[in-house]
Amino acid sequence: MPKVKINDKEVEVKDGTLILDAAKEAGYIVPTFCYQADLSSLGSCRMCLVEIKGQRKLQPACITPVLDDMSVETNNETVSSARSAMLEFLLSNHAFDCPVCDKAGECELQDMVHKHGPHKGRHAEPKHSFHNKDYALNAVIVKNSNRCVQCQRCVRVCEEVVGRGVLGSIGRGHIQEETSFLRTYLDCDHDGMCIEVCPVGCFMRRPYRFKARPWDLKSTKTVCPYCATGCRMTIQERDGEVVRSIAMPEDGFNGKMMCARGRFGYDFLNSKGRLTTPLIKNKDGVHEPISWDKAIDIIKTRFARTAPEKIGAVASARLTNEALYLMQKLMRDVVGSGNIDSSSRWNHSVVEGFVQATEIPKGGTSIYDAMDSDAIFVLGTHVSDENPVTDYVIRNLAAANRKSVFVATPRAMKLDSSAQMVFRYKPGRLAAMLGAIVGKFQETRGDKLSSVKGLSPTLSKDLEELSKASGISLDDIATLVTRLNISEKITLMAGTELLRGGDGIKGLGLLRDTLRALGKEVLVMPILDRSNQRGAWDMGINPVFGPGYAPVEGKWKGTEEMLEAALDGDFDVLYVLGEDIQSMFPDRSFATMALSKLDFLVVQAAYMNETAKMADLILPGGSFAEKHGNYTNQEGRVQAITKLMEPPGDGKTDLDIIWLIGSALDSSFGPNLPREVFKEIQSKVDMYSEVEPTGFISADTGEEPVYKFDFKEALVGSGSVELLDVEAKDAEIKIGTDGDHPFMLLTGNHLFHSGVMSMQSELLKGLLGKPIIEMSALDAKELDMNIGDLVTVRGNGFEADFVLRIKEGTPRGVIFMPENYQEIAVNKFYERKTGIPGVNVTAQRG
Amino acid sequence: MEKMLLNNVDKPNSEKISTYISGGGYKSLEAALKKEPEKLIETVKASGLRGRGGAGFPTGLKWSFIPKDPTLAKYLVCNADEGEPGTFKDRVIIEKDPHLLIEGMIISSYAIGGATSYIYIRGEFVQGTKILEEAIKEAYEKGYLGKNILGSKFSHDMHVHRGFGAYICGEETALLESLEGLRGQPRKKPPFPALAGLYAKPTVINNVETLSCIPAIVSKGADWFKGIGPEKSPGTKLFCVSGHVEKPGTVELPMGTPLREIIYDHCGGIKGGKKIKAIVPGGVSAPILMPSYLDIAMDFDTLAAKKTMLGSGAIVVMDETTCMVKVAYIVNRFFSHESCGKCTPCREGTAWLTQVLKRIEYGKGKKSDIKLLDEVCDNIFGNTFCPLGDGAVMALRGFLHNFRDEFEYHIERKECMV
Ligand SMILES: Cc1cc2nc3c(=O)[nH]c(=O)nc-3n(C[C@H](O)[C@H](O)[C@H](O)COP(=O)(O)O)c2cc1C
Ligand code: SF4
Ligand code: SF4
Ligand code: SF4
Ligand code: FES
Repeated sequence: MPKVKINDKEVEVKDGTLILDAAKEAGYIVPTFCYQADLSSLGSCRMCLVEIKGQRKLQPACITPVLDDMSVETNNETVSSARSAMLEFLLSNHAFDCPVCDKAGECELQDMVHKHGPHKGRHAEPKHSFHNKDYALNAVIVKNSNRCVQCQRCVRVCEEVVGRGVLGSIGRGHIQEETSFLRTYLDCDHDGMCIEVCPVGCFMRRPYRFKARPWDLKSTKTVCPYCATGCRMTIQERDGEVVRSIAMPEDGFNGKMMCARGRFGYDFLNSKGRLTTPLIKNKDGVHEPISWDKAIDIIKTRFARTAPEKIGAVASARLTNEALYLMQKLMRDVVGSGNIDSSSRWNHSVVEGFVQATEIPKGGTSIYDAMDSDAIFVLGTHVSDENPVTDYVIRNLAAANRKSVFVATPRAMKLDSSAQMVFRYKPGRLAAMLGAIVGKFQETRGDKLSSVKGLSPTLSKDLEELSKASGISLDDIATLVTRLNISEKITLMAGTELLRGGDGIKGLGLLRDTLRALGKEVLVMPILDRSNQRGAWDMGINPVFGPGYAPVEGKWKGTEEMLEAALDGDFDVLYVLGEDIQSMFPDRSFATMALSKLDFLVVQAAYMNETAKMADLILPGGSFAEKHGNYTNQEGRVQAITKLMEPPGDGKTDLDIIWLIGSALDSSFGPNLPREVFKEIQSKVDMYSEVEPTGFISADTGEEPVYKFDFKEALVGSGSVELLDVEAKDAEIKIGTDGDHPFMLLTGNHLFHSGVMSMQSELLKGLLGKPIIEMSALDAKELDMNIGDLVTVRGNGFEADFVLRIKEGTPRGVIFMPENYQEIAVNKFYERKTGIPGVNVTAQRG
Repeated sequence: MEKMLLNNVDKPNSEKISTYISGGGYKSLEAALKKEPEKLIETVKASGLRGRGGAGFPTGLKWSFIPKDPTLAKYLVCNADEGEPGTFKDRVIIEKDPHLLIEGMIISSYAIGGATSYIYIRGEFVQGTKILEEAIKEAYEKGYLGKNILGSKFSHDMHVHRGFGAYICGEETALLESLEGLRGQPRKKPPFPALAGLYAKPTVINNVETLSCIPAIVSKGADWFKGIGPEKSPGTKLFCVSGHVEKPGTVELPMGTPLREIIYDHCGGIKGGKKIKAIVPGGVSAPILMPSYLDIAMDFDTLAAKKTMLGSGAIVVMDETTCMVKVAYIVNRFFSHESCGKCTPCREGTAWLTQVLKRIEYGKGKKSDIKLLDEVCDNIFGNTFCPLGDGAVMALRGFLHNFRDEFEYHIERKECMV
């Protein structure tokens, strides 16, 4: 451990510590421009020059590691004058148009000059001008190069974090410009990472143009509501309109990282289509306003007069932990029904198997700990599209620390390029691939595997069959097995492809146990696509397990079973919170019929949706910007969302509504303040007893914990409950293709969308509004179709029109369709229990 | 005097392998392949050969930094970017005696255990590229390149890679970036190329002339080489003389030959019998010398002691009719045009200097400008990422120091002093 002197202070730091960090440790901040911890180091801006005693030249603190006995001056005359000299140089070609620059007021260059001078420049020559007017790079990014300090953060972040590499430098010397190729329209991930990292006003948000100065804004710290990566962010409003969301580099585990949905999808909050008052369906089937008192009364009556086993609730995985907890409390403790589920997309038995395979009840795992493995095996999750920031973390850290990444997904994705090996298994055949991997381990190291539960012998004949079924060659399997064999710590990241139909759930568990039996340290991390999916499970929103995965008594129904019962006329009351069953249940006509058979359907939602349209009673719920509470992300990290504004009109938060119903039925229903409800959760749910949610004001201390990057105290602990005792079964996924329907239809989240919520965002719809399908170039060629063609997809007696896109790496015979459109009900292509649908695609005539 | 670099250049068809072989070429390779690589490095060390690319770093020592681990891929890269204004010595070897370089590179690669080597050649050398490619083809045909060279266990492949017109790509780490297909900008050091160079593998980068000395060192021995010129900078050196001399061109002379001898005995003296005004001794980054220094010995250490440098050995002679403000402006414009743009002081500073110098040259100078130039120089010098920015300052300071009166005159009268 080298000891170094920084100015007057001695510090002892780890080997290889940069002078910059050692100085920080000693309490001195060295100014920087080009340095950014998670990017490759450049040492180019020379802002951080410091004096090392005994060295002739000043040295950049951001790339120079300390040596024992080094003595460094960070603030003396020489250093300060070099610093102000660098600023004078940077200003020599700077536009100086702060009054019309969006960055003014939060500009690193302004701050730096204010602090380190020079307050008078000597450069009186004409300036080089890159262009006269700002130019738009795409729908959300606008550029002004005349303000650039050439720190290259934009270029590096695009390459090293986002993995796109669409930015670069054009030209050389003082006329070099960081921009896209020929400054043309940028077809990129639209995440605005370049905007976030740019220290000055070069990369700017188009929707925020000339809207506000930072001091005009009211902000609140919150969590992105889209996927379960759970990026921390700050949303800001001016005069009741949310105008931007920004990352929270100091606090969030995600640093400066956010994706297009997080950074530009905030404007659904400004959507005009909000529900503002309770609505009841009148005799003519038209919804008309009623008062809250009446609405609650009606529910109370309905709940009271219906047998508990004929009442159920389905809640969105985007509600807060508090609302979800209270909802199950209402159902289980007051109404007396365990018919509870948290998704309309996935069968609860699959969820139980998944929870077991990913060991969620064992507590949270920081993604940074997961990335500290020798090998990261990403399977059954298109993270690059579903969880973009998870993709960033994997790419960035794997490259920086030379970790091996393996990817197994049915469709191509951006992370492929960071992977050592990519396994494009046949849709629905992950189980076969995992079987082959485990089988290969048995073949080579079978003697060590006797302790693995549920492992049956695999013969080489089986191996060949599994390989053939999965479409992955035995050679590739063998190479993967060799690579895993030489790794000591392995992380398995598994996601929604497993949840969709149960494909590979058992295999995942077996692989996990096999690796452990071979002496490896194995972490399993669920990759989830709804912001509070994990929280919903933790809170027991499931018919089989309660809060903390405690087994529940009795036999209860999940979404599909409730709908089945309804269809049989055997189910009466359904309370739907924030979910759109009609749009999301993978069999539209079944869902519609079942819902219409219900006696009484209550839908609580922020916007009108397809399910709400059928409801007998609609309750206007609050958006995530209107409430306090916690989300638990896929890591098991509990993070607070805080209120920025009031719900519009007569709207109420979900928590308040549930509480109103609960207390109407039972006067001792309990607390309704989010922090008090959370306190109850902590006392009842073991996993949560010690958690300090990031940014959440504790009911006991009245304070927020002091959070920091990768704040581990916010991770849920392991419950006292044993792992779920369910027998995970790999579902046999049927494939519905035939001669007339040659394409397998795969659906999922698009990079710019996540469920129906993103469809309320005009900005995200601007990035992708029209329904599209993706196809391989070869298939398109065979069908004589081109990018941009209007095509018709037919299957399951349904047809709809789409714009064709060609995506490299899409397997032949597969089309992908984002699942979030409202005008086209993608789930009409599905018939439940029939596996992957077959469809045909034809060009439109005329 | 015995030559080792320009022996063949005047022969007809000197670039052909047959000409080279009939002059005893590739005999050194034969001899080298019979020796232990380690021994060869020792020989080069003992010869005292110092890099001819500009910095004068001991070549044998550089080679000895390459890890001995046989499982690691290693590379030799020949720096043929020859971009320093006034320098045209490597070009002579490339165009007239390519096999000398190729033989030197094969031996050097054998010494460091490199299976592949690259010649990074200045993009403008179109002819040179063709000649080298043809020569490499010939060498393959004769079995000097390829698998099991001359029946030994050593196999080697050689490639030519063209630059695209950036002076900075002569800087060794920018060269590596460019060779890897990236933007030509210097890399931070450490790690030094000897440990992590091309494709992050151990790499030796040597100048054309440096590598072309190797065959003679192998065939005639370290002592022979060391016997030529001063003890600390031995060997012969190519001097390329241009400017106001009667017979400009490239000459091979022992290191330490006095400047006067080079200009007057070998290049016919000053053109038209005019008076000499100033001399650039080693490429334009080297601060100029005044005629009072004509007797200086042209080697690394003597010039360094006089606060200038031998650099690439490019001597530019200027007679009394030369306007030093104009020269300073043109030289500085070169540097700001070639600044790669990576670091702030060089990128912005050299451009600023050029703007001021241009004003002075075009009669728009201000009294305060000289002080401003001094101060901007101070703010650049020592703060840049690579030596290019420092070179620009060193050159300008040379002009400002020796010809201040000419700058003042130019500012005051708005015309040249000469
Ligand atoms: C701006 C700059 C330009 C350079 N240009 C060249 C060049 O054109 N040719 C060259 O051989 N070395 C050039 N060098 C020196 C190289 O970086 C390196 O020191 C040299 O190639 C090493 O070879 P040597 O040890 O054989 O001299 C340049 C250095 C700098 C800083
Ligand atoms: S555009 Fe911004 S981030 Fe990119 S180099 Fe310029 S100042 Fe840096
Ligand atoms: S990765 Fe997920 S949580 Fe993060 S910004 Fe994107 S959608 Fe939001
Ligand atoms: S001194 Fe800086 S800008 Fe100039 S060439 Fe070197 S790295 Fe590039
Ligand atoms: S911050 Fe260190 S050189 Fe830019």
